[in-house]
Amino acid sequence: MALKKLRIITLALSLSASLLVGCASQKSESLVIYSGRSESFISPFLNKFTALTGTNLDVRYGDSAALAAQLLEEGSNSPADLFISQDAGALGAISAAGLFATLEKQVLDRVEDKYQSSRSDWVGVTGRARVFAYSPERVENLPSSIDQLTQPIYRAKVGIAPTNSSFQAFITALIQSRGEAAVVNWLERLKANDVKLYEKNSQIVAAIDAGEIDLGLVNHYYLWEVSKALGRDIAVNNGFFAPGDTGNMINVAGAGILKTSTDSQSALELLKYLLSDEAQRQFIEQTYEYSLVLKDASPVGLPPLSQIPSPRVDLSLLANLSKTQALLIKVGLI
Amino acid sequence: MATTLGLTIAVTALSTLIGLALAWTLFNVDLSLKSTLQALVILPVAIPSYVFTYSWISLIPGFKGLWAALFVLVLATTPYITLTTLAALRRSDWSTYEVAQTLGLSGFQIFVRITWPQIKNSVAAGSLLSALYVLSDFGAISLLGVDTLTRAIENIYRGSFDRSSASILALILVAISALVIRLEERSRHKLRIIKSSSRIIKRAKASDKFKVKVIALLGIGLYLALGLVIPLFQLLSIFLANSTSINYSLLFQASLSTLIAACLGALIALALALPVGVLSAQGSRLGRVSDKAILIVHALPGIVMGLALVSFGSSIGWLYQSLLLLSFAYALLFMAKAVGSVRSSFDRVPKNLIEISATLGQRKSATFRRVVVPLATPGLLSGTLLVLLAAMKELPATLMLKPIGFETLATQMWSYSSIFRFNEAAPYALLLVLIAAIPTFLINRPDKSDGIGDDQI
Repeated sequence: MALKKLRIITLALSLSASLLVGCASQKSESLVIYSGRSESFISPFLNKFTALTGTNLDVRYGDSAALAAQLLEEGSNSPADLFISQDAGALGAISAAGLFATLEKQVLDRVEDKYQSSRSDWVGVTGRARVFAYSPERVENLPSSIDQLTQPIYRAKVGIAPTNSSFQAFITALIQSRGEAAVVNWLERLKANDVKLYEKNSQIVAAIDAGEIDLGLVNHYYLWEVSKALGRDIAVNNGFFAPGDTGNMINVAGAGILKTSTDSQSALELLKYLLSDEAQRQFIEQTYEYSLVLKDASPVGLPPLSQIPSPRVDLSLLANLSKTQALLIKVGLI
Repeated sequence: MATTLGLTIAVTALSTLIGLALAWTLFNVDLSLKSTLQALVILPVAIPSYVFTYSWISLIPGFKGLWAALFVLVLATTPYITLTTLAALRRSDWSTYEVAQTLGLSGFQIFVRITWPQIKNSVAAGSLLSALYVLSDFGAISLLGVDTLTRAIENIYRGSFDRSSASILALILVAISALVIRLEERSRHKLRIIKSSSRIIKRAKASDKFKVKVIALLGIGLYLALGLVIPLFQLLSIFLANSTSINYSLLFQASLSTLIAACLGALIALALALPVGVLSAQGSRLGRVSDKAILIVHALPGIVMGLALVSFGSSIGWLYQSLLLLSFAYALLFMAKAVGSVRSSFDRVPKNLIEISATLGQRKSATFRRVVVPLATPGLLSGTLLVLLAAMKELPATLMLKPIGFETLATQMWSYSSIFRFNEAAPYALLLVLIAAIPTFLINRPDKSDGIGDDQI
């Protein structure tokens, strides 16, 4: 009886197998995109582009870092035309490996120098500010500097996500401005103050809403993300530190065209569309990110990018966070 | 490193105990709906560990750390032992059990002296899978904030794209898994099963004492509640708390894609595992070496295996990111789950039956077909089932190797849960478990499999 079952299963499977091998060998002529930005956020823009130009897009979604690792592994065999990444670090790694093609000046000029590759081969599309998310009910005096977070009043009240690349990018920038010893000292004091560790920014925001902690270091748009996920308003606000504090750094999500692209013209068109005033306005409204082009516009309730007291940070340094990771391991946070 | 080892040992020990107890109870106690229960206790394996973990986190605020990881991983890996043990129990020879009973041995003595030697190899194969699962798990431990080698490897990829140092850590993982595999192998002894004919394989009389039944039901109920009902119920309530409209055609498509890719993968895995299992059971050197080689890579995290296949596949244009390569990847990733079952099923085929068949003038191929395969089939099926269930929820390699636009339930689930929308991910998770239930129930079908030995051959 069991044997009969096995036979039937085998037969059914081999039939479907032969059928599918046929389908698998089809190759499409569309533009191939590797997107580290999630489908819900980016696909409205991509669909609009297809509607406007008639160019078909094949999108492979994944984690930015995993896709970057995949691109590095594929090397010159990559089928990808365009890589859209969540953060500058993954773009920097592809750029350092020499896999990106140089971009036209016309495209690069849409955004400020500090939001693009120093090798002119990737460009930032949207901005994301590091902030402290806090509970307006439980935090009365807002901290003006990250240094205050090590004070006793914040004991066991602060959340960070040390394994998250956005936190590691912030620490990398901090090392750049203060030096390693000072950063180790700050992290150790933070740890001694019983800082709470999370895996993701969204978990921190949810934990503030749930009353587990009062304040956390996150990117600004997680407020909307968590609120949307929970289907209700949450009791969490975004706050900025005093001008120049590295706690306010700006990171970018961006894109670059692969050298292996068989249709770099269409890829460039898409990049131009993403940087167009129209798309940039939609990013502000739909994903609550900062536009790198429309500098005076901002997501609802936040100051515009031009007024954020952000420190100057070299984004190309974010391509290698290994020193930062080693430091976080040394302190015992990851 | 110490965390990795400690967690692996603790999880394996606990899940082996629980899995063994579950299988033993389900086999020996006369429960109504037994076959349904037998299938249900396997199902927790179909829930991806990050979804499983998330549902517990959302239920218990502050659910974190080593103890939480131990809890989650024990629940998630117990089915490996339950399934392999059940398959072995079904093949046990109960005539010896009756002899032991007439000789006045107690239930416990019978277990230790009669049953245990017959099922030991299968239990060990299940425990090995559990250990390798813990070594390679990322979903649960990352959400719970436990530092293991696998998490360190992922972090290196994420932070610095430094493939060489990640590879060195992966090598340490391989070394640890080699150690675990060696341990399992040492515990395995050559079986000597002598039976005059398969008709003597008798089914034990199931216990029908009321007290025993109540205890058994309570135990099984507790496991099912923690491992299946509570997480699924929690997912459902997350969905209902903020329900969005479900895209049914996408849901259907994803289910179909999941089934096709996973079935193909399981089939290829079975085809690849068969010769290895047969050779290894016969004690051939080639068989033993390849058996171990397959197991060793099983402890590698998905991202490492995925990238290895990217590096191999991307140079072959027509194959790269095709369904064929994806199924092949599933087979390579999860073949280890089938190899152990295949080997122990062939081990369990009484050698004298093969000899008898030969003296009756049957050719080797006929003997294999008419004697060996029927006897080994329950084990083969449960091995294939494990591959199928694992492939259905696989994520990192799927994201890298799937054809573009080919969405599986796992990739859809990821695309929502990665942006914290567990409410939208919930329907996919629930459907994944439902679909996984189909082959699980088929293989644990009540009608014939319980009466094994009486009329099958």
